[in-house]
Amino acid sequence: MSFLDVLMLGFSEALTPTNLLFCFIGALLGTLIGVLPGIGPTATVAILLPVTFFLPPLGALIMLSGIFYGAQYGGSTTAILVNLPGEASAVVTAIDGYQMARKGRAGAALAIAALGSFFAGTVATIALAVAGPTLSSFALSFGPAEYVALCIFGLLAATILAHGSVIKAIGMVCLGLVLGLVGIDVNSGSARLTFESTDLYDGIEFVVIAVGLFGIAEIATNLESTEVRGILQSKIGRLWPTRDEFRQSWGAVLRGTAVGTVLGVLPGGGATLSAFSAYSVEKKVSRTPEKFGHGAIAGVAGPEAANNAGAQSSFIPLLTLGIPSNSIMAMMLGAMTIHGITPGPSVIQNQPGLFWGLVASMWLGNAMLLIINLPLIGLWVKLLQIPYRLMYPAILLFCCVGVFSVSNRGFDVALVIIFGVLGYVLRKAKCEPGPLLLGFVLGPLLETNLRRAMLLSQGDWLVFFERPISAILLAVTALMLLMLVLPAIRKNRKAAFEASED
Amino acid sequence: MGAAMNPRTPFRGGDLPDVLAGTLMISLGALGLWAGRDLTYGNPAMMGPGFLPASLCTIMALIGGFVLVKGLSKPAESMGALNLRPLVTLVVAIAGFAFSAERFGFVVASAWLLIIGSLADPESRWKEIFISTAVLTSLGALLFVYGLGVQMPVWPF
Repeated sequence: MSFLDVLMLGFSEALTPTNLLFCFIGALLGTLIGVLPGIGPTATVAILLPVTFFLPPLGALIMLSGIFYGAQYGGSTTAILVNLPGEASAVVTAIDGYQMARKGRAGAALAIAALGSFFAGTVATIALAVAGPTLSSFALSFGPAEYVALCIFGLLAATILAHGSVIKAIGMVCLGLVLGLVGIDVNSGSARLTFESTDLYDGIEFVVIAVGLFGIAEIATNLESTEVRGILQSKIGRLWPTRDEFRQSWGAVLRGTAVGTVLGVLPGGGATLSAFSAYSVEKKVSRTPEKFGHGAIAGVAGPEAANNAGAQSSFIPLLTLGIPSNSIMAMMLGAMTIHGITPGPSVIQNQPGLFWGLVASMWLGNAMLLIINLPLIGLWVKLLQIPYRLMYPAILLFCCVGVFSVSNRGFDVALVIIFGVLGYVLRKAKCEPGPLLLGFVLGPLLETNLRRAMLLSQGDWLVFFERPISAILLAVTALMLLMLVLPAIRKNRKAAFEASED
Repeated sequence: MGAAMNPRTPFRGGDLPDVLAGTLMISLGALGLWAGRDLTYGNPAMMGPGFLPASLCTIMALIGGFVLVKGLSKPAESMGALNLRPLVTLVVAIAGFAFSAERFGFVVASAWLLIIGSLADPESRWKEIFISTAVLTSLGALLFVYGLGVQMPVWPF
């Protein structure tokens, strides 16, 4: 099929009334939770996962991805207006965005953020459409050894590029992998780590872990301290930026898009890392770096374009290799598995409608977000005044009923308690739950391929270094770990992530 | 690594989050090893069902030990404010839901979850709790049980 054919196919799938509706619901929900502090896209996708059982596969994926990129738009609104980033990825937007708002240029900051995001989303969607078929046909030749190397690369790279302590993150990956092994072993039929409970024979449900670690634990942490509210800059000002503001921001949008698209593909990358990197790029190339922090429009345009591009391009490794790069992508993988789709290189070939439909819907969703966000800004600002105490009971109900509906049993809900408490303890211990989730979804894939590769090589571990692709992947992983030991890089990494605590 | 021998903090202190993380990983690793004690380990060519669980639990416990030892020698860092009331309240609320969902139906389970769950926030007011519980329970029953077809009785009888 030529590029035009697949594009036609994608849009014919995405433009059906139901899929358009799901796209709209996703974008709307994403904006909503992006605006509301205290609930992030990861938690929302976790909570809504069970609901997607009842939707058609494509509709479910369209809606969930809409939530993810919609949250990037919504998060910037509150960052600019009240200096309260709704999402971690909007933290840098708040620096200059809020200063612009104090100068009465909130409208221009919001418009540049939205337009930049739209442009970046479009470019990253095209990148996905171009990279998808190439990467997946390359990955089709992968054998078990390559998959093992890819899993290890993905898991370890994710711990290095994400913020927080690397060694603790590797421990979390191990914990996640172990949790992924619970249940009946397919090869031998013996029950593993089930503590003699027949309810665990099918393994732990993905939804249970996701809702516990990200939903319940988040509510418990949010309720610990009382809310902090910024001061609302009520005057939004003229929405359309001046010619001068356009001139200052288009370069930043271009650079931000490039940074975001590249960083989003890397394991552990995605929206937050992209936004932070884009901000430092802008500060470096600017002829007036002293303006940053005092309302420089480039400091809004660059990171906003980058976080949206990063959000979109983090779909590339998932849809082409079947390897999620961050916790949201792990959720998407969970959603695909729920619908019987095995994410990986064969998706594009066997279900072209699904892949191209999703790609096309992302572009449509970005266009919808432009409309949802700019004219309706007043409505979103009003929503900020809803207190958390009225919001979280609804979230709690969604969590519990959703988990119950997976297999219609109270056992899963009881299991959520364990993971909720675990998630709370992990937050106190400053351990990231993301790597755990990545380990959990990749555990079975890693084990199957490891066993197969070792069986084929008759127990020779050297097989991973004899095959070129796996050797390169492992060499890169080793190099990254090695570089981390060097003090200079450790210091730089620490500085880069210092501000990104979320 | 330079702070390994810090004379200012001889015994008290240490990086509490790291100590907690290390202890947690050691205990979970030990728990996993104990739970999988009967599984065949096998050899690299023919991995038994216990090969990966045992190996990963060992690695996790070793990492935990490393984090713990390093955490103890790091300069003191507190865990931050600790307030267990919300967590405990949420656990009680969810446990009640898990217990009653199949036995007493959606209305009872949801009302328990929402009323008890709302107490997790000290700012909650009784009037608000009752209104939001009534609204959310009826909307929830309509959406989940009647709308999406979740297999749960609505009433206890």
